[in-house]
Amino acid sequence: MIVADLPEKELARRLAGAGLRVRTGPVVTEIRSRMPKVAQGIALHYADHPLEEPGGFADFHVRLAPPRNIRRWLQPQVTFQFDGAPPFLPLPADQAFPILEWGLNWCVSAHCHQYLVLHAAVVERSGRALILPAPPGSGKSTLCAGLVSRGWRLLSDELALIDPLTAHIMPLPRPISLKNASIEVIRRFSPDAVLGPTVRDTLKGSVAHVKAPVDSVRRAAEPARPRWIVMPRYQAGAPANLERLPKGRAFMQLVDSAFNYNLHGRKGFETLAQVIDAADCYEFAYGDLEEAVKLYDRLATSA
Amino acid sequence: MSVSALRWHTVPRSDLIWRELDGDLVVRDARSGSTHLLEPLAGHVLRALSEAHAGMSIPDLVARLQDEAGADETSAWFSAIEAILSEFRRLGLAEPERP
Repeated sequence: MIVADLPEKELARRLAGAGLRVRTGPVVTEIRSRMPKVAQGIALHYADHPLEEPGGFADFHVRLAPPRNIRRWLQPQVTFQFDGAPPFLPLPADQAFPILEWGLNWCVSAHCHQYLVLHAAVVERSGRALILPAPPGSGKSTLCAGLVSRGWRLLSDELALIDPLTAHIMPLPRPISLKNASIEVIRRFSPDAVLGPTVRDTLKGSVAHVKAPVDSVRRAAEPARPRWIVMPRYQAGAPANLERLPKGRAFMQLVDSAFNYNLHGRKGFETLAQVIDAADCYEFAYGDLEEAVKLYDRLATSA
Repeated sequence: MSVSALRWHTVPRSDLIWRELDGDLVVRDARSGSTHLLEPLAGHVLRALSEAHAGMSIPDLVARLQDEAGADETSAWFSAIEAILSEFRRLGLAEPERP
């Protein structure tokens, strides 16, 4: 059963009651909320995701609810709760779906230590993964959304889960988070992409999410082997330029982008070394998404 | 005692893990949990120190690297290795033996 199989009322009933247990890749999350924006966001963005039976195991138990403070009467707010406690400050209520997404990212990055977790987007073609580690503002998610709209499989927009046993990457297909100008870029670039509403005035500016393609969700148990590591950098007006990055520098950038590298100790070092050994490493500047996507299509074809 | 006469040793070999990548050396020090990127000469110095049974002075290191590289002109290496050892000391990768 997938989320889309539930009638709207049943979806709302589960969210308001015992919780909706949604599988995203290797992770099951029990989500509870009475807030309509949460139900609407899940119905749109998680429609193709498998549902686990109520009462079964869940890795994370989260709840989105108005905080119990006086401000809720003046300006409605929402808190993200993890095991009953809020790890973050409340946000305006219209940010309920973005805070769910940010909260789910936090759940995985702070707890899924069976994986080496990198802050990176990952897409795949022919079993080979393109890893895009980059800080916010680098154009990582825009590039990721552009590639996914042209047939690359989405493993994750935000978190690369590397299995230390195989050095392969486990998919975690969830909505792609776009910010500010990227929202319009993707609307124009991919008119068929399913975008949720734009939420304005968040801590990250305006935010909108792109639904993960159904094929990416269905293949969420299918890992990919690292093949390319690319550090993207959006630069207005710049021609697409892919330059080799020495592997030692690429290694250090992966260390910097990892959430739990130190926790894995020696194994973390060895796992990253395996990833680097298996991949060609590049720095990539781009100013035009169409040109960038064509370049990656050529890269995938020639390799 | 002059700097060049000091004998240097690295952290225990068992605490270091490294990998050579495109000529550079990435090394993890288990004692600090830190990972460092060393350019080729620094990588050679670290490996020479970790393989030595006793502390090495800068002239020892220059001689060792000269043998490995087969280089004739090594005068610039003294100051370069001195700087590398100073950086290793700051990073906790090596330290001079007490006289």
